[in-house]
Amino acid sequence: MSLKDEAPKETLDTLGRVCPYPLLLTKKALEKLQSGAMLKVLCDAPASAEDSIPRYCEKNGFGFESVKLEDKGYWELYIKKK
Amino acid sequence: MGSMFGFILSGLLVGAAFGFVLQRGRYCVNTAFRDVIFINDFTLLRAYVLGLVTLIIGANFLEDVGWLGGNGQLYRQAFVPWANAIGGYIFGMGIVLAGGCGSGILYRVGEGLLAALVAVFGFFFGIMTTKAGLLKPLYEALTAKVVYVGEDTTPTLFNMLGVNKWVVIAVLTVAAVPFLLKGTPFKKAKKGYYWSTAGLLVGLVAVIAFWASAHFGGNARGLSFTGPLREFFLAVTMGDSQASPSLIKSVTMLGINVSWSSLYVLGVPLGAYISAKLLKEFKLKVPPANELLRVLAGGFVMGLGAQISGGCNIGQGFTGVSTLAVSSWVTTVFILLGNWTMVYFLLIKPMRD
Repeated sequence: MSLKDEAPKETLDTLGRVCPYPLLLTKKALEKLQSGAMLKVLCDAPASAEDSIPRYCEKNGFGFESVKLEDKGYWELYIKKK
Repeated sequence: MGSMFGFILSGLLVGAAFGFVLQRGRYCVNTAFRDVIFINDFTLLRAYVLGLVTLIIGANFLEDVGWLGGNGQLYRQAFVPWANAIGGYIFGMGIVLAGGCGSGILYRVGEGLLAALVAVFGFFFGIMTTKAGLLKPLYEALTAKVVYVGEDTTPTLFNMLGVNKWVVIAVLTVAAVPFLLKGTPFKKAKKGYYWSTAGLLVGLVAVIAFWASAHFGGNARGLSFTGPLREFFLAVTMGDSQASPSLIKSVTMLGINVSWSSLYVLGVPLGAYISAKLLKEFKLKVPPANELLRVLAGGFVMGLGAQISGGCNIGQGFTGVSTLAVSSWVTTVFILLGNWTMVYFLLIKPMRD
């Protein structure tokens, strides 16, 4: 089962937010979540969605998947805390 | 007519190529510096260093083979120690507040980020206030002390050490290699460039900009954004870029005096827009009001710092560093320190408290 099929514990909306808020808010939300919990992040900043947040997740060993909704112009990021 | 066409087209193309590569590479020096202490990641810093190595070798090669026209030399900025250090530090703090460096805010305009446009306006406002307005006395006081080697030679890493410049370039390149090799060169984001591709292309476009600025603009000014952004807005609002002819050539079209550099300022968001459109990443985005105010203030602080220090992360931190001028190296170190200071107080400390 891929991460996006799991029910998220929390959904974080960072649409329209200025750099580095998408990363900062994601980091904050993940720190509050318990191990094994799933966070879904809505993000429309390309650098954050495709670069900063995936790298942060990789550094910390978190599960990461992203789905780009091209018609809506944003990404859904699925992050599973280790 | 032909030369006018080449003048305009070359300026726009250099800017568009730079904007395209910045957008594809998600290349922002604020992020590169910030990520080192915020998420302990060096990926984008590696792209920056690879770009620098490429530019240092390319720019100095152009100088030595005599392809720069004009006086044949790279434009090396005067060493004004107080201005370089204090201005660089202020600029480094400003880019964190503005959510992007000098080139970062410009390319993000092309992605439809209205906050970036507000930051650009703040940047211009800060530059003008410092160069010609309320903060001019501070600017003049900080730039009064100029340090030379001998009577009137601008200090560089090689003339300070008394060695051939290629010795310095070789040492810097060899020192960068282990750092670059620690990163996986072809590890990529989903649609953007590998960090290595982004670094290499950013460096190559900057090398071409050196050649083009000399060939079409009459002087090897290379890429920078502080002076050129001022020139662009002055051309738009006053009808005259007011660029120093000793620095870059201007032409009159449609009754407006436009410098070559101000054309690439226009080209950067255009190139980024093309890239973002092709990737289906263009979208008009508006942040909350408090963030708009923050980026406006950040842009102003960037303009204040960049005008004092003699340039932003590109003019000093990239183009300037490649000329091996001491002023640019000092400024860049202080940009890094200013960035880390603001990242600590704005991002790291609040999360711990």
